[in-house]
Amino acid sequence: MIARLLDRLSGFSADHPKSVLVLVLIVTLAFASLLPRITVDTDPKHMLPVTSPVRQYNDQVEKDFALHADVIVLGIVNEGGIANRATLSRIIELTRAIQALPGVISRDVTSLSTIDNVLSEKGELIIRPALERVPESPAELEAFRKALLENPLFVNRIVSADETTTAVYVPIDPKSNGKQIADAIRSLLPRDPGQDRFYIAGDPVARDTFGTEMFRQMALFSPVAGMIMCLLLWLMFRSAALVAANMAVTMVSIVWSMGLLIGLGYPVHIMSSMSPIFLMAIATDSVHIFNEFAFRFPETKSKRQAILETMSAVGGPVFYSDVTTAAGFASLATAPIIPVKIFGLVIAFGTLVILLLSFTLVPAILALLPERSIPRASAGAKGEGPAGLVRFGAFCVRHGKSIAVMGTVLLAVAGVGLALLRVNNNMVHWFKPNSEVRTADRVMNAHLGGTSLGYLVVQGRAEDAIKDPAMLRGIENLQRELEKDPRVGKTFSVADYVKRINRVLHGDAPAFDRVPDTAGEVGQYLFLFGTSAKPSDLDNVVDYPFQRANVQVQLKSWDAGVMRDVIRRTQAYLAAHPLPGDAAVQPAGTAYFNLVWNDEVLWGMLASFSVGLVLVLVLLTLQMRSLLWGLLAFLPLLFTIALIYGVVGLIGKDFDMPVAVLSTLSLGLAVDFAIHFVARFRERYRQKPDLDQALIWTAARPGRGIFLNAILFAAGFAVMVFADLTPYITVGVFMAAIMLLSALASVMLLPGLVRLFQPVLFKKGGAP
Amino acid sequence: MNSIASLAIALAVFSGMGLSLTAQEKPGAEAIIEKSQKAFYYAGADMRAKVVMNLITDSGQKRTRVLTMLRKNDPKSEDQKYFLYFHEPGDVRRMAFLVWKYPERDDDRWIFVPALNMARRVAASDSRSSFVGSDFTYEDVSGRDIGADTHTLLREEKLGASDCFVVQSVPKARMDYTKKLSWIDKATSLPVKEEYYDAQNELARVFTADKVEEFTAQGGGRKASFSIVTQRTMKNVKSGHRTEVTYSDVALNLGLEDALFTERSLQNPPAKWIQ
Repeated sequence: MIARLLDRLSGFSADHPKSVLVLVLIVTLAFASLLPRITVDTDPKHMLPVTSPVRQYNDQVEKDFALHADVIVLGIVNEGGIANRATLSRIIELTRAIQALPGVISRDVTSLSTIDNVLSEKGELIIRPALERVPESPAELEAFRKALLENPLFVNRIVSADETTTAVYVPIDPKSNGKQIADAIRSLLPRDPGQDRFYIAGDPVARDTFGTEMFRQMALFSPVAGMIMCLLLWLMFRSAALVAANMAVTMVSIVWSMGLLIGLGYPVHIMSSMSPIFLMAIATDSVHIFNEFAFRFPETKSKRQAILETMSAVGGPVFYSDVTTAAGFASLATAPIIPVKIFGLVIAFGTLVILLLSFTLVPAILALLPERSIPRASAGAKGEGPAGLVRFGAFCVRHGKSIAVMGTVLLAVAGVGLALLRVNNNMVHWFKPNSEVRTADRVMNAHLGGTSLGYLVVQGRAEDAIKDPAMLRGIENLQRELEKDPRVGKTFSVADYVKRINRVLHGDAPAFDRVPDTAGEVGQYLFLFGTSAKPSDLDNVVDYPFQRANVQVQLKSWDAGVMRDVIRRTQAYLAAHPLPGDAAVQPAGTAYFNLVWNDEVLWGMLASFSVGLVLVLVLLTLQMRSLLWGLLAFLPLLFTIALIYGVVGLIGKDFDMPVAVLSTLSLGLAVDFAIHFVARFRERYRQKPDLDQALIWTAARPGRGIFLNAILFAAGFAVMVFADLTPYITVGVFMAAIMLLSALASVMLLPGLVRLFQPVLFKKGGAP
Repeated sequence: MNSIASLAIALAVFSGMGLSLTAQEKPGAEAIIEKSQKAFYYAGADMRAKVVMNLITDSGQKRTRVLTMLRKNDPKSEDQKYFLYFHEPGDVRRMAFLVWKYPERDDDRWIFVPALNMARRVAASDSRSSFVGSDFTYEDVSGRDIGADTHTLLREEKLGASDCFVVQSVPKARMDYTKKLSWIDKATSLPVKEEYYDAQNELARVFTADKVEEFTAQGGGRKASFSIVTQRTMKNVKSGHRTEVTYSDVALNLGLEDALFTERSLQNPPAKWIQ
């Protein structure tokens, strides 16, 4: 019934091409009128909804401890040591200037000139900023140096142990853009830095730079990819009209889908900014129509007849391959991340638009094609198909068994790779190794405690639980345990402040660099500290009722796995050495957020992937009206995906968020070629029941369409290899590989498999 | 309100009106601030008050400090001495601060840590740093050198029930704030409201005098009346944190001796004054 409907639709379009064109134009203009309402959202943080529990929990922890989620780190490195007058006065000036920047939370900017030092000098207790003014004399400079390095609270946090590096921690308003503030800080840096080198790192910089760059790169690569596809299409068919037809389908589908997205009031997020390039690639599906038309025209000599025959021959596979593609993308709607959900649905909609256009706009344009230009388009398409592909098809039929064996071996190797897959995510690695973001991160992590920050929140049983010396000693021991991991560069807690004050109040005697014995002392030390230091110093590590303490853990890597290990180590340690009152410890902070986000996305993607697989299999079975044939068409898809992920595992690339998102995207695309192959083969076999000849014909004639489509698609995405962001490179390589591999897998594996399972597939000896 | 106080206010209002008649005699901004500081920080020759300070976070968490404050003005200069004795929180009971304040140079400060039974000299930290963890700075509590700012009288306006001078004070040296606007009650010379603008030129902290009470005391052989702000709030509008301060048991001109304000009395607090 669907076939009849599609035939009538394409017949109508071929007979009334101008009306179809006008109609498409009107609808397109209607959607285009919505485009100016575009709003853009470059913040990857919006990937998780505000209501997600980890976001809410993290917000609460930050509120309770007066912490800030978004902190930019400005690193200042001077190989000769930062304790020189030029660098120090620079630190004071820069800190002041940064505090005046809009979007910066001035009161909590932490640098040498704002961080409180607690020390004892000639019997006097001193609590004041470490660098109040630039030391004048060499003796003063030396005293400053000593004071700095002797305070364990500072080393690896605000100054490196080798004195070459210091950091300015710049918390920013969560509503402001990290890249813009980083750029503003950059503009404050001296033109003539002398021996000083400056690095800007931190989660908001990476995140917002990524968001901005993503848009920029998409704006750059989408048109380039489009042009390359047009050029290739022209080389394939030598027909400007066919190129125009393909371009029209692409543009119309992009305008309709983006118009719908914007019209519904959604912002264009970094994810949906990739829609155009995906739709461009999916629209290459019309190559199957062009290819068959190129064959049919010389056979029929009548344009109308050729169009009708073409549409009726490829209509089925085009319809089903587009529907499976749409289904694959629509399965993203089950993902936990809203922008991914929206992206999936937009592409699914766009694919259905392409489907509609394939049966309306494409035949209409073909009908308007001047007849004399067609022979040129048909130059490469004669009779049984290109000689090379005929030979290739024959080879695949002849060596079906060997190919199957080889495929099995490859699958086994891929299995090893799959077992090696390492699930991880590291946003800094989304930038190239030599990029500014990644260099800054590397340098800062080499010198200081780490740019990634996690929290461990100790939950006492009652108020003042944290003042218990046993509790503080427990926290201190936990810190020492965590620091055994070389990726943990620094930890600090309220215990560190208490120890410091104990020592300073006892004339700086090293013997008192410990937690005192009574809760009374602890309470008074903390009060004393709280009366003189910045309030946030204490607020950051202990809550108001002294019931909960926050242990800050600086990590030298953004790998989600590092925080996972910190949590594991904490749990193992606490099991053996419980805190007083069995106080629980709960993780929080950006590092933890990233870990949870990572897991949620990955598992969500895996779920979408499974849904997609089932959906595709169901659709294949429906189309083939047979579970066996459905499974057969399903095999090249499985093979392709197993092989690709096997390679990812074997080369040691992390299975990270971009790869996870891609897995679902690839589903509906990788199955297309098998659909074309199986459908066209069965059609052919019904007409001429010679198994080998039918297989060779399929490999050669629709095979040409398959390969042309794969090459076009791959070429479009291959451009992204030149992107600056590694996820784009991943997308480019991945998509190109999937298309080429699934084209090869379909054409090479299917003939052998059809022959191998011939007895089961053709049960009654009749037509399949 | 007693008759002398009303007379004083009437006089003040009258003189204010009189001054506003001729532009030439208008009080300079500096004079207004000077008079205001005198009224706000220097009332009487000495003063005692029980102070309850509530530190309240944006999310409503609260810490309470209860202390006795003793203050004595130096009769010959602008110097002052403060003795602060903490009653609460419980684990810091008996902790005490001694501050000798000089307007134009760093304070001398001492602290007594009861757990160690030890008095220690404390370096005067930045006078802009927080006073006992509150939203007030040391300067907010004890006054700021008038010559450190450039004062401008912006306008005169009514704020609530008070006729006010609005004075802008811009620090001459670079500070954590870029300007302060003060609404100074013409009648009492007390600040009714102050706004602090930060380095980003945005409103950062707001002081409000929430309750003003009249106290009479013996002064120079006769009764004198003093207006004291007994409830005040400083709110950090950026962090949402605020500090509410309430004075009770206020008494002035008690004849506090100099011996009270010494390191020795940190160890042996004067029980007479600090029940």
